[in-house]
Amino acid sequence: MMSTSEPIISLRNVTKRIGRSTIIDDLTFDVPQGEIFGFLGPNGAGKTTTIRMIVGLMTTTNGQILIKGKNIKTEFEQAIQHVGAIVENPEMYKYLTGYLNLVHYARMVPGVTKERIDEVVKLVKLESRIHDKVKKYSLGMRQRLGVAQALLHQPSLLILDEPTNGLDPAGIRELRDYLRQLTRFGGITVIVSSHLLSEMELMCDRVAILQGGKLVDVKPIQYFTQGSGQAQTYRIETQQPELVMAALSRMDGIEEVKLGVEGIVELTTERERIPEILAELMQHSVRIYGVETVRRSLEDGFLELTGGKQIV
Amino acid sequence: MFNLVRNENMKIYRRVRTWILVGLLVAFVLFINIMSWQFDGKESQGDGWRTVLQQEKEHRNEVLKKPGLEAEDRTFNLQRIAVIDYHLERDIRTEDGSIWDGVNGSAQLAILISVFTIIIAGDIVAGEFASGTIKQLLIRPANRLKILISKYVASLMFGILLLFALFVVSFLANGVLFGFGHLDLPLIEVKEGVIVENNMFLNLLQTYMLNGVSTILYVTMAFMISSAFRSSTMAIGFSIAALFAGNILLEALQRFDWSKYLLFANTDLTQYLSGQPYQSGMTLSFSIGVLAIYFVAFNLISWLMFTRRDVTS
Repeated sequence: MMSTSEPIISLRNVTKRIGRSTIIDDLTFDVPQGEIFGFLGPNGAGKTTTIRMIVGLMTTTNGQILIKGKNIKTEFEQAIQHVGAIVENPEMYKYLTGYLNLVHYARMVPGVTKERIDEVVKLVKLESRIHDKVKKYSLGMRQRLGVAQALLHQPSLLILDEPTNGLDPAGIRELRDYLRQLTRFGGITVIVSSHLLSEMELMCDRVAILQGGKLVDVKPIQYFTQGSGQAQTYRIETQQPELVMAALSRMDGIEEVKLGVEGIVELTTERERIPEILAELMQHSVRIYGVETVRRSLEDGFLELTGGKQIV
Repeated sequence: MFNLVRNENMKIYRRVRTWILVGLLVAFVLFINIMSWQFDGKESQGDGWRTVLQQEKEHRNEVLKKPGLEAEDRTFNLQRIAVIDYHLERDIRTEDGSIWDGVNGSAQLAILISVFTIIIAGDIVAGEFASGTIKQLLIRPANRLKILISKYVASLMFGILLLFALFVVSFLANGVLFGFGHLDLPLIEVKEGVIVENNMFLNLLQTYMLNGVSTILYVTMAFMISSAFRSSTMAIGFSIAALFAGNILLEALQRFDWSKYLLFANTDLTQYLSGQPYQSGMTLSFSIGVLAIYFVAFNLISWLMFTRRDVTS
């Protein structure tokens, strides 16, 4: 999915200071085309501030933000035309109909036709209610109208700040599938922010972890679920755990062996060692009922990165 | 740019609030005109104006006989009598009892235009901050200066709409009340001791224009507060307070020479048409200069505060 072309967006040493406090400290990262990129961090970590700087609502104190090579500060109009965004809540003009809200934003970008408006309305499934005033909309409908206005001008970069706020599980699922579709078939790049790990896992390709305005790390999502190195944890189900424990403790290349409950033995090793380990266990004629890979919980990965500080 | 102004207009005229303001203006105009027709204008209607003028002339002659009359009052009464004679001798009817009476009188309601336009202008920027829609508005390929100008233009256009409504409603209402005749009536005034005939319509236009200058200044002030402080309440409150309290403040400050540089001392340009300016030594060009400086300053502050500051709402 990753492309080798130049990144859609790149941040270079982006810093934001307000008064004496540093809100955002030296952020540098790139997002390539077609990726769903997540900002993950507790409330107050600087996710929204970063997004506001990317879309030009806030200025950077230092560093630069380039969108398709255009500097958001000095070439605002050229840079922002590639961006569609919802910053925080999808606030719309409540006294206008959903349709007129879209007309309003369509007029601000050259080349958005009436047909395009209808197309986007259909896309977010608001056809039946689009001529109602927004004040009559539910939160989910507003969220969908927000997505519609962000997609209106066919942006290359879609930025959604806490997009799942106020959505029910079905709505979240729908949004997720939709984003997948956009990146896969539309070539769009998506940046989402969230303070919920579980959502990020389901949506993102890569995640940037922010904490206290600093970038802790940027990792592919697999890192959190599969661990950093080669070694993974496996779970062996047996009727003779003591026997297995004893056999394993005599073998090489095993990082850790743990006795679990109800005949479970957990061992951490490289994937390549598994067949040999099993073959050796067979020689001791132990009865093995199953072997499975233990997926690390997302929280484990996160805690490892942030040095044990809990999220949320 | 054209589209941005269209957007702002849509946001103004798709709100019930706006039409309540327009409706209020229309209601005020109708009310004032019907009242003044009922209690004042009726008796001058038709040929009644001659009788009314005769009565006034007798009354003024009485006044002139009073001992100890001040020179100023004396001149005024003599001038009025001269005007009355001019009317009667040449058989030119007065505007009293004609359509012009109410139409000219309604021009006094221009202060309502100021108030209502301040309400729209005071909210047009700050309202977007309050609702959070400013974020969606500013992340489009239109820089902040363009957005600001489109909002300013739309505010002033609303003022022009109200002015238009004021004129049309007062013209129609008074036409119905007094009949649509006498449209070519001249305005008879004393200018520098001589009686002159002026065009009534040009006179009305002048009144509208001079009132318009004051409206533009107060509206620009409201717009500035709206963009600088991002609070509609503050913008509307301060500007309307300035509009009404300005004159009271001026009276208290008249003895200070510097008070002539205050905005309020210069917004009423009609002071140079009739009677004394606020302080001796003030001229029309002085006031225009002072107003121009305020105008530029207000707009500069709006621009700086709106385009430079971070949006955190």
